Formats: sequence, structure tokens, C-alpha cells
Amino acid sequence: MTNSNENQRYQLTEKDFKQINRRSLFLFQSGWNYERMQNTGYLYLILPQLRKIYGDGTPELKQAMKTHVQFFNTSNFFNTIITGIDLALEEKQGSESLDAVAGLKAGLLGPFAAIGDSLFAALVPTIFGAIAANMAISGNPTGLFIWILANIFIMIFRWKQLKFAYKEGVNLVTTMQNQMNALTDAATLLGVFMVGALIATMINVHIGWKPMIGKVPLDIQNTIDMMMPKLLPAAIVGIIYWMLGKKNMTSTRAIFIVLIVSVALSALGVIAQ
Amino acid sequence: MDISWWQILLLTLYAGYQILDELEINSSAGSAVFAGFITGLIMGDVKAGLLIGGSMQLTILGVGTFGGASRIDANSGTVLATAFSVAVGMKPTQAIAAIAVPVASLMIQTDILARFTNTFFAHRIDKNIEDFNYSAINRNFLLGNIPWALSRQIPVFLALAFGGGLVTKVVNYLNTDLKWLGDGLSVAGAVLPAVGFAILLRYLPVKKHFPYLILGFTLTALLSTIFTSIQTLGTGLQGVAKDFSSTFNSLPMLAIALIGFGLAAISYKKDITQNNGGSGSSGSNSSSEKQEDSQQNDNDEGEIEDDEL
Repeated sequence: MTNSNENQRYQLTEKDFKQINRRSLFLFQSGWNYERMQNTGYLYLILPQLRKIYGDGTPELKQAMKTHVQFFNTSNFFNTIITGIDLALEEKQGSESLDAVAGLKAGLLGPFAAIGDSLFAALVPTIFGAIAANMAISGNPTGLFIWILANIFIMIFRWKQLKFAYKEGVNLVTTMQNQMNALTDAATLLGVFMVGALIATMINVHIGWKPMIGKVPLDIQNTIDMMMPKLLPAAIVGIIYWMLGKKNMTSTRAIFIVLIVSVALSALGVIAQ
Repeated sequence: MDISWWQILLLTLYAGYQILDELEINSSAGSAVFAGFITGLIMGDVKAGLLIGGSMQLTILGVGTFGGASRIDANSGTVLATAFSVAVGMKPTQAIAAIAVPVASLMIQTDILARFTNTFFAHRIDKNIEDFNYSAINRNFLLGNIPWALSRQIPVFLALAFGGGLVTKVVNYLNTDLKWLGDGLSVAGAVLPAVGFAILLRYLPVKKHFPYLILGFTLTALLSTIFTSIQTLGTGLQGVAKDFSSTFNSLPMLAIALIGFGLAAISYKKDITQNNGGSGSSGSNSSSEKQEDSQQNDNDEGEIEDDEL
């Protein structure tokens, strides 16, 4: 009985993968909401496949839909890895797997959110955004096109991972863990390096204050430059970094504090552009 | 110069598109640099747009969409700042601090509104599941795009259509009676990227990688000083010697990024061989230790929220 059931079960085709990928790339987060975040997005991505696996109007389908409309929130660059592993399970075991699937989703969404955020929300914008911004400030849009190109490669990567995860199944998580750790480590290293480089180039203020010592004006900026160029930008970033560690400090608040303090210091003639 | 109706139309359309791009396909058309570029193109001054967009990009560098929290909308800020800067003739560096940043932070509210509205659609989908109403599930999901787009389009449209007079008045003041404030806002615009870098450092395991922070900073500080000095020297020389012709570029950031990439690749290879070299159990041990390490790092560095919530 169970055997014949398994034989009848629907097998995902190339067309299914394409449909899921299209939906993932263009629509995954359209329904993002405060209550359960990407829940409807997850369901929307695989709804046609769920209908094929369980059949329209069956209680199993309702159970599956209810499972997939629970809280979900992960990196939108890695979401189809979870989808792929999930579908591999559901396709083989049907509604019996739904408990395992719910656990799998809850267990994987956190780690993938962390890796995805550090790679794609922090690192890629840091490197390519910084290059784009750097060139843009001197009036050159080339850096922007480099960034777009990089994002096209990332889209291809997002497209490929679904089928890869579907084939590898649950094993994927264990086999890839070492590699992912090393990759995240290297990526954050590059991020830290780039922030250092950006501090040295992108904050263009200097000390405008020139106190008189006797009758000789003391050029403080020049004195600092002799010790170490770009020390003022480094100090500014250091102070803001420290400030951000304070309680009740949000990035938006920090931006406004910096805005007000900068205007005040500029009015007093301490710093200038 | 006024902003004409077709410019308002195009900018409003872009304001709606940019948030969807950022949410879904992520082509970087939803980035501040691109917002500046496209607004500059529409307004007829790409340079001003790129300057404002580039500066805003750096300011929000570390403010990713972590955990789906609302964050300041640098793109709408860039659109409005660029549009008014070109239309009214405001200095781009002033427009960053005077328009782009305040607008960007006000937009947090409409972002929150959009995310709340989508809760309503999520509840309708719960009901549709009970009824096996598949097309309604799809429809209620896709309708979620509308609050997202409108949350940007309505404020941008209103500001562009009715804000011009106010901005003109403000600019007049900034150039005459309140010159100290106008200059101060320019300086603030130049300092703001520092916030982006500091936020980013909060998210990155900076304690673990601090040698690379020093390396990146020092290498670039020295090289950029050399490049700038040579540029100054070359331009001066061109003024004196007529037959001396050669162009000098500023320090290319891609080159610096490649040095960083080399260092990262070395570290990656070392990690991988270490893990493969040891026996299976020790390998996984070290990696889990590492994970704990980085988690501790995250905790050590304090927590900041992306938004006011």
C-alpha cells in the first residue's frame, strides 16, 4: 500500500525548479509582514509544487499549506537552499515529513540568515558599493556598472542553489558547514580590511583650527599628517563606533548626532571640508 | 528651474521600483548610488546625482536589512536631494545633510506602515488556505507589492510636487543669513560616511580581524596621500611646463580591494587545509569552536538596532 503510494508520488521536474526560482528572484519578499515575516512568501514559492505533490483539495495539502505559512525569515539570497532540502523531503515522504520539515525550516533559517546577511547584506555592498560610491563621488558611474555585474553573478548563484540543495538534501548542511565557516571568515576579513581602506579615503574633512603660538600659527592638520595621515577620519570612526555601543543607540540616532555635532564643530571652525 | 511633470512621474515610478528591486531581485538598482545616477539622469545633472548617491551609499554602508528590520531609506532621500539640488541650485554636499538624511529617516515610518499593511494580507491568506482558494492565495500575496511601492511613491510624489517652494526658501537662507549653517551642513555631509563605516564595524568580527583593519587603513592612507600629492604635483607642473602632458588618476579602490581579496584568500585556504588535515572530529570541533568564537564576538560588540523599534 505504502509502496504503491510512493510510486504514484509526484517527481519535481526542471519546469518546477524554474518556476520556484522565478518566483524566488522576483517575488519572494512581496508579502513581508511584521507578524510572520516571509511566511506567505515561502508558501507562494512552492504552492504549485505542493498542489502537485499532495493533490488539490486533500487534507494533506491543507496541512502542508498551514505548515508553510508559519513564521519564516531568512536571507533572501539563501532561501531556496532551505526550499530545496524541504521539497526533497516532502516529495519522498509526503505529509509524514511535515513535522521534520517544520523543524528543518526553523533550524536552518537562523544560520542562513546570519551567513546571508554577513555575505550579501554587509560584504558585497561594502566592497562593490564602496567602489561604486568612490567613483561616483568623482563623477564616474563605471563603479555602479561593476556592481550590477557582480549582482548578476549573484543572481545566477541564487538560481543554481535550489536544484543543488534538492539533490544533496539534508546532507548538504553537514558537508558544507566547514566550507561555509571558512568562507564567512574570509569574507568578514575582507570586509574589515575594506572598511579600513574606506576610512582612509572617503571621509574628507580636516582640522581647520589654527591656534596662534606667539605670532606663529600652528598648523595642527599638518602636524597630524606628519605623524600619520588620515588620523582625524580614524578618530571620528572610532568615536562613533564607541557611541554605537551605548545603550539605546540606534543607527538613525547616531546619524543625527553626527550631523548636529559636525555642524556645531564646523561653525566653531574646528573642522572644515 | 522647476521640476516638470514628466520628471515627477519618472522619479515617482522609480521610487516605487527601487524598494521592490532591493527586496527581490537585488540588481543594485535599489542602491543609493543608482538612485543618484538615475535621478541625475532624469534631472539633467548626473554628476550631482552621483555625488549625493555616492555619499548616501557610504553613510548607510553598514545599515543592511538585518533580520528584516526597517532602516533609513537612503534611496528616497537621494532622489529628493538630487532633484531639489539640481532644480533649485542647492550645493550637492549641502543637499546630503539638509535633505537626503532627514528624508531618509522620515521614510522609516512609511516602511513600517507597509510592513503592517502586509500583515492584513497574510491573515487573508490564512483564510484562503482553509477554503483551498489557490488563486486568492496568489492574489493576496502579490497585492503585498502595492503597499511596498506606495510607501515610497506617495511621499516622494508629494515632496516633489509641493516641496519646491519650501526648499527654495531654505536654500536662500542657507546662502545668506545662515551661511554658517549651510557650510556646516556641507561638512556634516562629508563626515556622515563615518557613521556607515562604524556601523559596519559593529557587525563585522572586528576584534578577530583587527590586524586587517590596521593594514587596510594604513596602506590606503599612505597610498592615497602619495596619489593625491602626485596629482597636485602634476597639475602644478602642467601649469609651468607647456609640453608636459600626462594625466594622473586618483587611487583606484579596486586595486586596494584586490589586496584585501588576496589576504582573504590566504586565510580561506589556510582554514580549509587545517580542517581537512585534522581528523574528522577535530575538524568539526575547531569549526564549532570558531562559531562560538564569532558568536561571542557578536555579543561582545554590543547590539544596535537597525531602526527605532
